[in-house]
Amino acid sequence: MSKRNLILLLTLAWPLINSSAQKTDTPMVLFTAMMMTKAQQASSVPTDSGVLLRDKSTGEWLRFGPAIQMISSATADPSDPDTIFLACGNGIVRSQDGGESWRLVTGWRESDVLQIAVDPEDGNRVYAASAWGVTLSTDGGDTWQASNTGLPEYFSKNIAIDYRKTSRLLLATGTGLFESRNRGKTWKRITSFPQVAGLRLRRSESDPDLWICGSEGRGVWVSTDDGKTWKATAPALKEANIYGVAIDPFEADNLAAGGWGTGVYLTEDRGKSWEKARGKLPSDNITSVLFDVNVSHRIWASTFEEGTYFSDDFGNSWTTAELDGAYVQDLGFLPQN
Amino acid sequence: MILKARWSRIFPCYQRPDPHPEISVLLMMSYLFKGVSLHRYLLIYLLIAIGVSGGLSAKPSWPSEADRIAAYRERCQREIQYYVDLTDASNPESGSLFTIAANVAFGENIEWARERLRTVNNPPTGSMFWMHPMVLAMYAGRDVWNEEDIAFIRELWRTYFPFRGDTENHWLMYYASLYLACQMFPDSGPEAWYNGKSAQENMEVAKDYIKDWIHVTTSYGQGEYDSPNYIEEYLRPLGLLYGWVEDPELKELSRMMIDYVLLDFVVENLDGLYGGAHSRLYPRYAMRPALTAATQHAWMLFGLGTEQHNAGNIILSLCGYTPPAILHRIAWDRDEAYVQKELKRTRWRLRHAGPKAFEIEGRFTIPVYKYTYVHPDFMLGSSQGGLLQPIQQQTWSLIWRDENPLETANTMFGIQPYSNPLEGTMYFVSDWDTVTDLIARSKVDYDSPDKLEGGSPYEQIYQHESTLIALYSMPNDNRFPHIQTLFTQDLKERSEDPSGWIFARGGPVYIAYRPFAPGEWRPVDWTGLLKSGAGAWFSTNFDKLAGKSEFYVSESLQNGYIVQIAPVSEYKSMSAFQSAIKGLKCDFSLHPKPKVNFTALDGAHLQVKYDGDFLIDGKRIDYSKWPLYDGPFSKADRESETLEIQHGGERYFLDFKNVTSSTSFISQQ
Repeated sequence: MSKRNLILLLTLAWPLINSSAQKTDTPMVLFTAMMMTKAQQASSVPTDSGVLLRDKSTGEWLRFGPAIQMISSATADPSDPDTIFLACGNGIVRSQDGGESWRLVTGWRESDVLQIAVDPEDGNRVYAASAWGVTLSTDGGDTWQASNTGLPEYFSKNIAIDYRKTSRLLLATGTGLFESRNRGKTWKRITSFPQVAGLRLRRSESDPDLWICGSEGRGVWVSTDDGKTWKATAPALKEANIYGVAIDPFEADNLAAGGWGTGVYLTEDRGKSWEKARGKLPSDNITSVLFDVNVSHRIWASTFEEGTYFSDDFGNSWTTAELDGAYVQDLGFLPQN
Repeated sequence: MILKARWSRIFPCYQRPDPHPEISVLLMMSYLFKGVSLHRYLLIYLLIAIGVSGGLSAKPSWPSEADRIAAYRERCQREIQYYVDLTDASNPESGSLFTIAANVAFGENIEWARERLRTVNNPPTGSMFWMHPMVLAMYAGRDVWNEEDIAFIRELWRTYFPFRGDTENHWLMYYASLYLACQMFPDSGPEAWYNGKSAQENMEVAKDYIKDWIHVTTSYGQGEYDSPNYIEEYLRPLGLLYGWVEDPELKELSRMMIDYVLLDFVVENLDGLYGGAHSRLYPRYAMRPALTAATQHAWMLFGLGTEQHNAGNIILSLCGYTPPAILHRIAWDRDEAYVQKELKRTRWRLRHAGPKAFEIEGRFTIPVYKYTYVHPDFMLGSSQGGLLQPIQQQTWSLIWRDENPLETANTMFGIQPYSNPLEGTMYFVSDWDTVTDLIARSKVDYDSPDKLEGGSPYEQIYQHESTLIALYSMPNDNRFPHIQTLFTQDLKERSEDPSGWIFARGGPVYIAYRPFAPGEWRPVDWTGLLKSGAGAWFSTNFDKLAGKSEFYVSESLQNGYIVQIAPVSEYKSMSAFQSAIKGLKCDFSLHPKPKVNFTALDGAHLQVKYDGDFLIDGKRIDYSKWPLYDGPFSKADRESETLEIQHGGERYFLDFKNVTSSTSFISQQ
């Protein structure tokens, strides 16, 4: 096996779509990007915010990086686990030493960043979805430029790189899903997805043809042909705002979705049939869901201000992982440094 | 004496009252007109010197320039002294960064300031609202802070990561403060700053933002336009820059922008009260216009109204800024009525920008067409309606002159209370299901049916001088399906006439209000939200401010009204005014959409229908040609990056493209 192919194979084990971590032998640690809003009274400022890592042995949440208000996500470079990007209101904050030091690598134009993706074949190519549209870097994040050609409105929530063909990107915007086949230079609407906001876009790690996307007001959508065409699924959620979707890295038939007022819904047959998780959460307002990459079939779910929980029995019961009062913007995995 | 000497040394821009303004003019001109031939130079000098020494014959009553500046400086001193006097030097747990700045500027309570600097920053909070007073304290105490203090300050900037915020006043405060903080330690590397950028890198980014904001504002209008509250949040960073920035381009730009923002205010002020349509206004200030930051600025900058203080005035006092005499004269000159037209823009629309949106370098906005009728006795102003701001929009308002505005609710306005995630997500990054909740955490009245400010997509406003027409067409599922118009407790002679008109008198003006659908009277804040103190500082004392004021509330989904204002002086009595109003042609209908034909008191025939054209005497108003500024005191074209300010025979021209300003005089007929 050539070195290039080996690197490519290894990169498949890294998170490719923001927090959709891959099943891997590399030690991975759960992170949350969150802000503490429950105690926020008569104020526009959360009482705390930032990225936290969960200590596997103690279950304690430990701060990772600076305490930055309005932080949406964290992403590691698949080819260099020491390089980590934080998607922040102020812009993009990068560490190149595993989190020892951080630098805001963007100017004032690149702000309100919501999610970042790094090319698994070329760590110099970094893409960010933000409230102002797509911004991309070809030098590892040192410089950035806007790339919104073809987008009717620029607000973009999620961006994903097709790791089988890295010139291809999928983008969840405020007006639907878009695809680029030229590394973000131009964008074209995916017409089978409704013209509503895509809120969370994820791809299966074990079946690259399988994608799932939560939408604003139109429920859950699934693609089984590598994002080319999309179909609505989970009829019970068809009018819901879906903020969290996930695909089990150990078994691609297992999907999860959750949104505002819905609780967590699960399927074991790729969406043919969905059921609401039987275990009761303190709130049905779900802001993020995730399958664990370390523990088989473990599901994580964050509620709005009522804590984050995990289930090891496919939603029959939930165990608290604390974070009461938090508004979790994202759950995901980062390489353990 | 020692303190005053210190002040001059710390703040090189500061000038004490100038006993010889003509000499100052000579010095200024030698700088501005290098290379101009001697005879032209002397001619220009003569014209300007005549002007500044009070020789403008059109208004002989204006104070001499020396007297004006002396009075202004005296108010500046009082402003700072006010904050020094507030200081409890025995209590290191009390006092803001502004109070620290005032003390160190005057050389007072230094040990308290040193201790308080540490306690107030344990830990630092507030992002840009921390950054800018921190920078003020740093520069105001430049000769006071010792090495330990400086080390403490630098550690704060290394470790505290402030958020840049979500709107333009935040961003201007953030980048102006960042620039100035870095300027103080220009050689510091990336390790010295919270964001891992060197001082020079930060200054480069900050300057680029500041210049972009100026470019956009002077081309397309301000995004948070004409806010009686938030004018302070713009003057603070601009004042900081003017006072302490070393870059000559930024210094000149900031001075010009202060003039620009103040011009924007003074052409729509009445005794220091900010009239017309506003981008942002908090409820207690909607009820009592004389309490706003704008009015507090008007006192210090122009001597208008009653002495009131605010933190922004500390910055303006210390930075050395002196408002040009022409702004002073415009602020005071209310001899004749005039129409002021202005073009503004909405805050940046992130989503749901709509078909009227246009793009400025990757950011979407729509135009805001402002129209204000400024009369010696009152001001009636409006914008076109719609969702022009995410929160706190005042689409139209009336204020009238009052001898004691601090004790009077001398205002009237209408609102369709609208609360919807569509609006929130249009302007904020937050999610659909949380945005309203999160807005209401700090702006508690946003999601209240009796709120006092806010835009509505179902509201359309049309105005011709002292006549205003409002039309509404609401869907069934609108969260708060009603409209309401404020009638304050300070209105006199309120009556409901069988003709359908409601009459009242507010100070020196008669008000006629013709609702198109039945309504009922309800107390202001009928849910009790603000009266109970919810909303913290912006509802302070609201119970007293609202008093027995009432809303006229109508729940018809298709709705509208006419407001016709007239000076009391033009009628023999209220009865005569009523007769005149009842004699006017007024035809309206509500279905399928509201429309009205009305002949105003001045004889103008106004025709308009919802979503239709506005015709005055049969001529359609063309909003596509709306000027950036058009009034007797100000002219500017869209995308011009200039502003021409006029008063009497004086013309003061700001050119932001070339970073120049000039004054000239034209002969008066």
